[in-house]
Order: sequence, then structure tokens, then C-alpha cells
Amino acid sequence: MSKLQIITKGIIKENPTFSLVLGMCPTIGVTSSAINGMGMGVATMAVLIMSNMAIAMIKNVVPDKVRIPAFIVVIASFVTIIEMLMQAYVPALYASLGVFIPLIVVNCIILGRAEAFASKNSVWDSALDGVGIGLGFTLSLTVIGAVREVLGSGAIFGYTFAEGVMPLLFILAPGGFLVLGYLMVMFNKIAKR
Amino acid sequence: MKSSLKNMVLVLLLISTITAFLVALVNDLTKEAIAESITKTKNEAKFAVLSTSASEAYIAADTTRVIGDFNINVSTVARSDDNTIIGYAVEAPSITKNGYADRIVLMVGFKEEGDATVINAVEVLSQKETPGLGANMTKEGNSLERSILGINPAELTFAVTKEGGSFDALTGSTISSRAYANAVETAYAGYLWATGRLNTEAAVETATGSTVQSDSNLL
Amino acid sequence: MKMMNILIGENISAEVLDGFATGSVTVQAITLVAIVIGAIFVNNVVLSQFLGICPFLGVSSKVETSLGMGMAVTFVMALSAVVTWCLQNYVLVPLGIEYMQTIAFILVIAALVQMVEIVLKKVSPALYQALGIFLPLITTNCAVLGLAILMIQKDFDLLTGVIYQVSTALGFALALVIFAGIRERLEVEDVPMALRGVPIALITAGLLAMAFMGFANVVPLP
Repeated sequence: MSKLQIITKGIIKENPTFSLVLGMCPTIGVTSSAINGMGMGVATMAVLIMSNMAIAMIKNVVPDKVRIPAFIVVIASFVTIIEMLMQAYVPALYASLGVFIPLIVVNCIILGRAEAFASKNSVWDSALDGVGIGLGFTLSLTVIGAVREVLGSGAIFGYTFAEGVMPLLFILAPGGFLVLGYLMVMFNKIAKR
Repeated sequence: MKSSLKNMVLVLLLISTITAFLVALVNDLTKEAIAESITKTKNEAKFAVLSTSASEAYIAADTTRVIGDFNINVSTVARSDDNTIIGYAVEAPSITKNGYADRIVLMVGFKEEGDATVINAVEVLSQKETPGLGANMTKEGNSLERSILGINPAELTFAVTKEGGSFDALTGSTISSRAYANAVETAYAGYLWATGRLNTEAAVETATGSTVQSDSNLL
Repeated sequence: MKMMNILIGENISAEVLDGFATGSVTVQAITLVAIVIGAIFVNNVVLSQFLGICPFLGVSSKVETSLGMGMAVTFVMALSAVVTWCLQNYVLVPLGIEYMQTIAFILVIAALVQMVEIVLKKVSPALYQALGIFLPLITTNCAVLGLAILMIQKDFDLLTGVIYQVSTALGFALALVIFAGIRERLEVEDVPMALRGVPIALITAGLLAMAFMGFANVVPLP
């Protein structure tokens, strides 16, 4: 597999949301607006790249039976470290992304990629895989967020065009499931043609 | 790698030690910077809620009332050139009501115009409400803020409109809005307390009465 | 003058005044009934808090297996409530290392699940047969970690915390079983090709979440 392919496969062929169906909890939980979806995507990508690299580095010294606990500890540490660094040095960014960061620990994409890719490939390839999957995740979340924002609050990226007339349902829990479900139908139609 | 009890324990122990050490190290490195940036945002908010800035005003007095685990901090902000008091910036959490996820901490600016007091501006210092719903309270010109700006807090009823109060709740976020109203109420009480006008004498007897009432609501 | 009629500070509630008078505040206690009903129906962990969606979509295609998974999660969550509560209040807080919370919790939960698996295998092979296959899946169930952190955030005491977690897990089981019932029916229906699998499951979940919204405002929420 070429280096470019590792990156691009995460966007369509192995899209984490629509194709691998991973990390559903943050996908539905934070995508009430496009900018929130994008924020979560970027924060996840940062953690994914670092954890993929770290896990590719230690893969040869971890015994099989304790692989999962070991990976989980590494991921949780990265999340905590990133949270503290952001809070200290980019407080403005932290103020807008802060609430999403602890949620990244429970995102099964990170552990999923650690298991499926980083534990079998080189450090460099694992970093690229993190970039690709991270991009795919960011893209999907932004699209879902945009659709829900347009339908639910009549706005796009915070710019309001129809206030108070759109069904709030799309921002609430059921809307998350419905929009994701129908977008997945469309993705299946287009990608599997 | 093959697993044996010895290498499993050893590797897990080693990884935990290294990561714990790293996290502790980063925590040590960033602790001061985090505290500093929090103080900085708070200080900026103190001036911002009174529509001024650190270049033309200063904090003339600072007083804190501790209630349980909460601090209600009242800063008197004065003009730098002529030392007249611009107003009071009060940092207050929602002490008796929780938001959807956690307490909400506000910075509320009170200005005195003649005999009357008005709410000049409100800034949200900390909240963990749902993005897109309760978290909209941080947006400029949200319905909660709009419903109380420029109004004398003595005329407010600290509840959301559908419960007979003065606060226009955020769409779909009654719980967050209630906590917001509670934080403004606490800030107002803190402002009165700092300026020596809070009458707490009557509190104890009325408090028992209303507790009984709210209990019967639950049944 | 109109202004003179307004008594300053009259509109401040007795609870807040009391706080300033005594320097301590009692938050209105939430009844256990409200916690239980709230966690099972109003704030259903899957349908309104978006935690534990992966097992919800993955496991729940048969009512029986869903029931098994629900029981296993309830069991683990009750244990994890006790362990994480003690860890937080007797280790992390006294040592002043609350920032290690995420790492400590996830490690303890992973260890707990492994231990339960080993003990169950030795002590009760019958129960292990019933629950065993679900146990490894629970480590990656974000509801367990999410709820442990939420429980600490809400400042519950140990008993309330355990009740809260058990009711949340029961809510999870309820959603799972209802959902599995619907999916069993769906299997024999003629679902359009593009909708098959996850998409139809998500849309069903959306409708179910809509139905659960009817429980809002049934009880005062914690």
C-alpha cells in the first residue's frame, strides 16, 4: 500500500463513521452543530496520530494478553496530557474544544486503530493512518453537524438564516440517530455503486 | 510477543509507571500556566462585564464570601483617572441548582445608576452543558442574557419564563437555564452582601417553610 | 415613585439567603425514586446520553442475548461504582492527584472486567456460560467509564452512586431489549438494500429515542 493510499483510504473506503461504524457515541453526542463536529474531529485526530505512533513503537514489547489494558493506559495518558497542554498554552482553543477532550478516551476509534493498524505496522505508517482516519472522522462529523444544524436550528457554522422555525428535534437525541442513519444510507448508495 | 505471568506484570507495571510519570510531569509543568490563564480570563471578565478594560480601570476592592465549597467573589471596579466606582463584578456559581452536567459559574457586572442597579453584562466563566443546547449560553446575545441586560435585578424573578420567572430559557435547555438564573441570583445576593445590604435575618425562618413546600411538590 | 416600592433583595430565594447567612448550602436532595426513574427512562443512557451505542448497535439483534448483555453490564457497573467511588474518595482526592482520574478509572475498570471473568469461570460456570461472552466487550463499553465519571461529577454518596449506576445499567438493558425486539421483527421484513444493517438500526433507534422523549419532565432530574 502506498503512503498516499494509507491516508486516502480513511476518507471513503475505511471511513470510520460510515463504513467502519466506529466511535458512534461522540458522533451522535457532539454533532449538534457543524463547528462542534469539526472540533471533535480535530481533537480526535491529534490524539489518534500520537497514540498510533506510541503504540507502533511499543508493539513489540507488549505481551498479547495484556495488549488491550496497555493500549488503554497509553491512550488515556495522551488524552490527559493533551488536555493539560491545551488548557495551559492555547486557552482560547481549549475553551471551545475542552468539553470534548475527555470524551476521546471512550472513543472506540482510537483503540480500534491501535488494534487493527498500529499494532501491526511501522511508526511512520501508523502516523499516516492516524491522519487518514482522523480526516475521515472530521469530515463525517462536520457533515453530520452541518445537516443537523441546518435542519434543527436554521443555521450553518453559526450563521443563522432561519431562526425559530426549524424543528428542534434534529439537535436533540432522536435527530442525531435519524440524520446519521439517513446519511449512512446515502453513503452506501454512493460508495457502493 | 508471547505472554507469561512475569512479562505481563512487568510490562504493565513499566507502562503504567512511565505514563503516570509523564502525566505527573506535564501536570507539574502546566499547573502554573493553567492557573495563570484562568486568573487572566477571570480578570479580563471582571472589566469586560462592566464595559471597560484594564487600561482605564482597576480593581479597587476584592472580597470573597465562602459558602460551603463555593466562592462568591465581588470585585469593586474603579476608574483609573478619577477613582470613581464604575460598578461591581461578581463571580458566582449556581449554588442551589445544578446545570445539566455541572455547576455553572458566571461573572455578572452590576452598575449603579442613581438609586437603581442594573445588570450591565454577563459572562459565562465555566459550564459543561450540552454543545448546541445548554452550551449556547456562552454565545453572545443568547436569550438568557438578552432577557436580563439593563434591568434592575430587584425587579427580576429568578426562574425561567414558563415557571413564571424573568429568564427566557434557551430552546430545549430548561435545566441549564434554571441553573443560569440561579447563578445570577447568587451573584445579585453576593453584590448586596458586599455592599452591606443583604438582609439575611429573615432567611432562616422562611427557608424552613419553603423546604417543606418543595418536598410536597415531589410527592 | 415606582422604584420605591421595590424592596432591595426581596426576590432572592430563602435557600440562597440561607447560604449567605450560615456559610453553607444544602442543595435540595433528590429522592432515590427520582434518580431511579430519571436514569432508566428520562435520561436513558443510550437514547439520550449517547453512551454505550456500540454494543447497542452490535449486540442487540436477539432478545435473549440482549438480556444477557444487559445483566452483564448491570453487574459490572454496580461493581465499578463501588470501586471507582472508593478510588476517587480514598486515593485520588487525599493524594491530590484528581487529574489522574481518567487513567486510574479506565485501568481499574479493565482490571475489574478481567477479574470478574476469571472468578466467574471458576466459581459459577453456569453463570459464566450465560454472561461470559459479553464480558470482554464491556471494557470497551464507554457507558461504564462515562457513568463512573458522571457519578463523581454529581457528588453522590456511595449508596446513591451505586443505585444511580445500577438504574442506568437497567436503562441500558431496557433499551437493548426493546431494540432487539424491534430488530427481530425487522429481520423478516423486506428492508430496502441500502437501508439494511446499521442504517435501519439507527433510524429505529431514532424513533425509539423520540418515544423516550415523552418521559421528559416526569420527575425532577438529578
